[in-house]
Amino acid sequence: MKPLETPSPEALARVLALSERRLSPEEARAALAVPLGEAEEEESRSLIRWFRRRYPTPAARLAYARRAYRRWASARPVPR
Amino acid sequence: MEGSLFEEADFFRAIAESGARGLLIGRRALIALGIPVLTVDYDFWLHIDDIAAFNAAIEPMGLYPTHSPEEARARDRYVAENDERIDVAFDDLWPRRRSLEVAAGVVLAVPALPDLILTKRFGGRPKDFEGIRLLEALRREEGP
Repeated sequence: MKPLETPSPEALARVLALSERRLSPEEARAALAVPLGEAEEEESRSLIRWFRRRYPTPAARLAYARRAYRRWASARPVPR
Repeated sequence: MEGSLFEEADFFRAIAESGARGLLIGRRALIALGIPVLTVDYDFWLHIDDIAAFNAAIEPMGLYPTHSPEEARARDRYVAENDERIDVAFDDLWPRRRSLEVAAGVVLAVPALPDLILTKRFGGRPKDFEGIRLLEALRREEGP
């Protein structure tokens, strides 16, 4: 298997800028105007039901999220 | 505030014992309520009078706020004006808060779902709007 190519610092910076940018008022209005569709709602509710069943308490959910973040952080590619 | 290798239960206990009025907001609040998202931050909205007590409670754990008390005081309320005016103050949210037990005898406060959705609107980033959709789904899951 080909090793994962690590992104350049410039590429990471672009991704970060995109994810952290604030939407313009027009974009925010447009985002809020889209109603939750039936399929999206069912998918989200199913995900929530699974998570709450697997981790029934707030403490268990928070602990899971910390573990998951640590796993993700240790596996993410280091910028070249 | 960024999480490190501290004991989370001790962290929430210290905040509760400090008496500081603080609401966990942001993605960590979504997780506590039952939405599986990823984050490293703990975002709290604090009562303006309780900032020092909160900071004193977390500093022994090697945790430091990412905003100065002056910046935090400037966030006593959120106001946004586009087509509509949205004005939210901590004192409005606090009485409607939801309490979650995060360890034996330790209670964590989060905003009521409609209020948490409002705080996401002030974030204004793409992921905040994704969070709103997930919170709307959670609201429907929980029912009236």
